[in-house]
Amino acid sequence: MRARKSKDRGAKKIETAIETAIETAIETAIETINLNVYYNSNHVIKSVSLQIPENVVFAIMGPSGCGKSTLLRAFNRLIELQENARVEGDIKLYGRSVFEMNPIEVRRQIGTVFQQVNPFPHLSIYENVAMGLKLNKLVKSKDELNRTVEWALKKAALWDEVKDRLNDFASNLSGGQQQRLCIARALALKPEVLLMDEPTANLDPIATEKIEDLIYELKKEYTIIIVTHSPSQAARVADFVAFLYLGKLIEVGPVEKIFENPAENLTEKYLTGRIG
Amino acid sequence: MRDAFSGTFRDTFKVSILPFSALIFGIFLLMLLVYFANSIQIFQKEGIEIYTTNKWIASEDPEKEFYGVLAAIYGSIYSSVIAVVIALPLSISFAVFVIDYAPSKLKEWFIIATDIMAGLPTIIYGIWGAFVLVPFLKDFVMYPIYNHLSFIPFFSFEPLSGYSFLSAGVLLGIMVTPFASSIIREAYRMIPFKYREAVFSIGATRYEATKILLSYIKPAIVAGVILAFGRAIGETVAVSLVVGNTFNIHPSLFAPGYTISSLIANQFGNAFIYEYMVSALFAAGLSLFFVGLAVNLLGMYILRRRVHE
Amino acid sequence: MNRLVKEKVFLISITVLSLLAILPLFHILFSVTVNGLPVLVKGGFGFLTGTLASPGDGLGGIGVAIVGTFVLVFLSSLIGLPIAVVAGIYAAEYPNSAIGRLTKTLLQIMLEFPTILVGLFVMQIIVVPMGNYSALAGALALAIVMMPYVAVSTEEAMKEIPFTYREAAFSLGLTRFKVVFRVLMGMARKGVLTGILIGMAKVAGETAPLLFSAGGASRVYFMGIDKPIGAIPLLIYNLVQQPYKNYHQIAWGAAFVLMLIFLAIFIPIRLKIKEVKI
Repeated sequence: MRARKSKDRGAKKIETAIETAIETAIETAIETINLNVYYNSNHVIKSVSLQIPENVVFAIMGPSGCGKSTLLRAFNRLIELQENARVEGDIKLYGRSVFEMNPIEVRRQIGTVFQQVNPFPHLSIYENVAMGLKLNKLVKSKDELNRTVEWALKKAALWDEVKDRLNDFASNLSGGQQQRLCIARALALKPEVLLMDEPTANLDPIATEKIEDLIYELKKEYTIIIVTHSPSQAARVADFVAFLYLGKLIEVGPVEKIFENPAENLTEKYLTGRIG
Repeated sequence: MRDAFSGTFRDTFKVSILPFSALIFGIFLLMLLVYFANSIQIFQKEGIEIYTTNKWIASEDPEKEFYGVLAAIYGSIYSSVIAVVIALPLSISFAVFVIDYAPSKLKEWFIIATDIMAGLPTIIYGIWGAFVLVPFLKDFVMYPIYNHLSFIPFFSFEPLSGYSFLSAGVLLGIMVTPFASSIIREAYRMIPFKYREAVFSIGATRYEATKILLSYIKPAIVAGVILAFGRAIGETVAVSLVVGNTFNIHPSLFAPGYTISSLIANQFGNAFIYEYMVSALFAAGLSLFFVGLAVNLLGMYILRRRVHE
Repeated sequence: MNRLVKEKVFLISITVLSLLAILPLFHILFSVTVNGLPVLVKGGFGFLTGTLASPGDGLGGIGVAIVGTFVLVFLSSLIGLPIAVVAGIYAAEYPNSAIGRLTKTLLQIMLEFPTILVGLFVMQIIVVPMGNYSALAGALALAIVMMPYVAVSTEEAMKEIPFTYREAAFSLGLTRFKVVFRVLMGMARKGVLTGILIGMAKVAGETAPLLFSAGGASRVYFMGIDKPIGAIPLLIYNLVQQPYKNYHQIAWGAAFVLMLIFLAIFIPIRLKIKEVKI
């Protein structure tokens, strides 16, 4: 390579241009820098530094209680709803510190889907999706609202199942449908990043499969960060995997690398079911 | 760091809804202030004697005026103690009966009945008390006892009208039983199943088991009694229609008397024609204020401590 | 043997005492109906709409008091509900802050506070400066009585909402205002509404706070919010203390009407929900 460089300055120029192009093409969506989270004096996330590329499915896995959900909630500052939580370090969304942004704005750009399937039970299917749009005044007309709700429900692969019963209560849907409704609710705000906290933990295998298919579809347009306690799910859906253990980031990398050739002993133990 | 909720540097949400809480505090503090401010006049004139004497001299001449509300304090405590003595066995029995023994179909209806009792307008207790309960107690309870046992101080007063501490106490007892019972019932229902199991596993009869389980929720029973006492002592119209409204410190259950609240209800309307009577009544109210406060705080404290255990 | 006898005595006495505890309710319902219903039947529709009879002169009507009760409940709700609901929200949203905890404690104290003291207080701060009894003063007194019921049930309803819905609402990029007032309040509306209705039923039956604030009226339906006003409980209280037989009959009739109003609000609510805080 060195030889080639010295030979042809012109070629080097082209090479740099390509490198820059690649760099900009694979932009970092979310970056955490030396992130620490405490609940009172309880240190739950320990110096986690992560880079999450754009338009991938990034799985955070680890045994229960390892801090996955906490880490996820730190990304859009949802963690701050916990009065006793304290966050140190920095989180960047496309290079901009989320702590310098309005948390309202952060949460609009980083949507969340929760483990506990939680469409608002007192609202209709339509209202569940429309609520964020209406209250945030993101649409100008009733017509635009209708179109956006339809768009979001289609994105969440739910439209065909609910288009004739939009005024039904959300609680009348099946668990899997409710979860896709929650995805539609988050998508309606047109976020850049979608956080999913064990989205299939309370669902049956068929519903789980549907959600996983949906995740595969959505990554073309969104960066998806999914928390899971199941390595097999991570293997199925993710492009990158981070393994978190007792609040520490043990290992992170492309999914093939982690599953086929983990660098850390702890990761291997986890993947083979010896811890967790 | 900006606030997590509003995105501003202050918690604007908190700041905007705080005034509503503050308003409630304001009302309460203003109330306390009004009671103190209006009591001062009589304290300056009589000092502590307003609470320690039983004299009620309303006169056009301010020099001759003298007010002592001891009889009303006595009557309030006397009638409320009677109420609690009646309410205690009734409310404990009811709690145990509803949880353990009532047929499951009737259970809910029993509870609904006590809920209605607890919410029923007190004036309805009042009219029933004055026109039904008092004549009944007079003819079937007071006179028979008086005729045979009048040598005992408790029964020594001839129940001419029937309006008496006993009538007030019984009516209050009926009124506060559902309230005390709901507190005891809640605690009794919350006893972990493992304790029930354990008690029966040692071969206890139902009576013995209930006794043991009740001792387990003693704090709730105490709290229920204290809070019921607080409710009884603050009740106004029902009591005022049956207690007789007479300045009287008498040991007999059958004697008429006053309570602080019925004194206020009866006298305040025309108190303004006198120089000191308004102040005297505010001083009486102030004592009720503090008794109410102390009793409720104590009851709540006992209940809360239980919860945290 | 001894043990079994004890057991029998225990079971019997506990049953008897329990029945004794609720027996008065049935006797009250019975007495009020037996004494009040005939008055209502005899007085006819005029009993509900008319003005008070003169002593010894028939039944007349309690229309003034009925109108007064509705006006007072309406006005007191207007004053008390917004304050109470928001204060309840405060206690629910800041349960660990000093003010939040203090608010909750204060509300619980006010829930059990002797209501006569409220009446006296309102007299001193409204009636004395204004120079006369008024609907406004009565409404304020009732509002103070009503507020803790509504606030406490609002607080409880808000706290019952699982945390996950709060998170979901915040995750939509809503301000706390919108999360609380547009999303969570919607979810808690049943509990809040129950508290409001119970509060209204409660103050509709209150007498003591009105003694020195509303003043009472029995012949003119409504004279303005700055003028005295009647109320059913107040009318009953005054009539019971009169020596006239027809006034006692009217009092029974009014008690029957008041009881019906109370039961009409209370029973549907009570059947819909499991627990009611009285």
